Amino acid sequence: MKGVLLSGGTGSRLRPITHTGPKQLVPVANRPVLEYAIEDLKEAGITEIGVILGNKGRNEIQELLGDGSDYGVEITYIVQGNPLGLAHAAGCARDFVGNDDFVMYLGDNILKSGVTELVESFQAGDYGAGIALQEVDDPQAFGIADVDDAGNVTQLIEKPDDPPTNLALIGMYVFSPTIFDAIDNLEPSWRGELEITDAIQDLFEDGYEIDSHVVTGWWKDTGKPEDILEANRLVLEDKKLKTAGVVEDGATTDGRIELAESAVIEDGAVVRGPVSIAENTTLMSGTYVGPYTSVGADSTLENIHIENSVIIGDSEITANGRIVDSLLGRGANVGSADELLPEGRRLVVGENSQLKL
Amino acid sequence: MRIITHTCSACGTVVAANELEDNRVMKCPGLGCQEVLRFDDLSEDAREHFLDHRDRYQI
Repeated sequence: MKGVLLSGGTGSRLRPITHTGPKQLVPVANRPVLEYAIEDLKEAGITEIGVILGNKGRNEIQELLGDGSDYGVEITYIVQGNPLGLAHAAGCARDFVGNDDFVMYLGDNILKSGVTELVESFQAGDYGAGIALQEVDDPQAFGIADVDDAGNVTQLIEKPDDPPTNLALIGMYVFSPTIFDAIDNLEPSWRGELEITDAIQDLFEDGYEIDSHVVTGWWKDTGKPEDILEANRLVLEDKKLKTAGVVEDGATTDGRIELAESAVIEDGAVVRGPVSIAENTTLMSGTYVGPYTSVGADSTLENIHIENSVIIGDSEITANGRIVDSLLGRGANVGSADELLPEGRRLVVGENSQLKL
Repeated sequence: MRIITHTCSACGTVVAANELEDNRVMKCPGLGCQEVLRFDDLSEDAREHFLDHRDRYQI
């Protein structure tokens, strides 16, 4: 079994964060989203991974993952270039996959339970493909699968008006190499892409059984800022957090706190977990860091009250105010305008930024 | 739809034909690899197929 990890896409819904890097490298609990996918594949026993690269962030992704040896896996890079659809991405991996089965994993997705059960379910039968499903409240908004009593897929419908089930495709698949023949026979859809659901439907119509696995734990597509915050909350809720850094006398801490060895919570700062504080970051006096916050490396916080937020790193946040439900990009600084005249907020804001003042 | 790729002989990076055709001659996108890749590295059959269906490989 091999892995194909999709790491293309423009990340347009995560702008301005993705103006300077790929969406798969946005951190959740101070780790790039992509690392969770690598970890899930490895946990499922998959150590040969093809990473599909688009037009954006190729070098950054290669710099992070390297040859995979730091993660105990072996990585081959596959440059798709134009985003011609998931089936095109899979097709680009044909030579890499060879005659093996493979898991296709969307690199901006994050799953509580990983892909081990999906793989085991697929391997228990003689299937052409296996798809991960999750129950959703609004099936009209998703690609929906209808399944029989044995869990075999009988129909795939894209955003149905009258959904037969509430089981949505979540973008995790296992394929036998027969999928490549189905992809060869595909025509681009109305949006000019080769659709993976069309390829699966072709397999089904050719008589192959399609396995389904209903994912019971949480799953997040981290495509939007609010999704990053939600994923950060979910991971911090579950993750084992270790306090290795310095908590000075006079600092107040409560709950689970991940504190990197070189990070400091100074006298007069208050931290309520679960939170994650990365390397070389200092929380100075007067700072309050509340639950579900991750502060990236090389940052300084002073006087600010912040909660349910992600600071990616290299930031100086020294305003005397409250920040909630926020995502701050790398190198973003927030200072105080208290002493400045005329009174008012001073902003240098990039294209596609969103502020609520 | 036929999907055509080329594998860099130096580093093993796989490159889709649409990427090669966009650039014609390019440095391998594998990080640190100095190999030069060309659209002409594809077989004649693959090149002809791609050029005959070029619009399908655009978005």
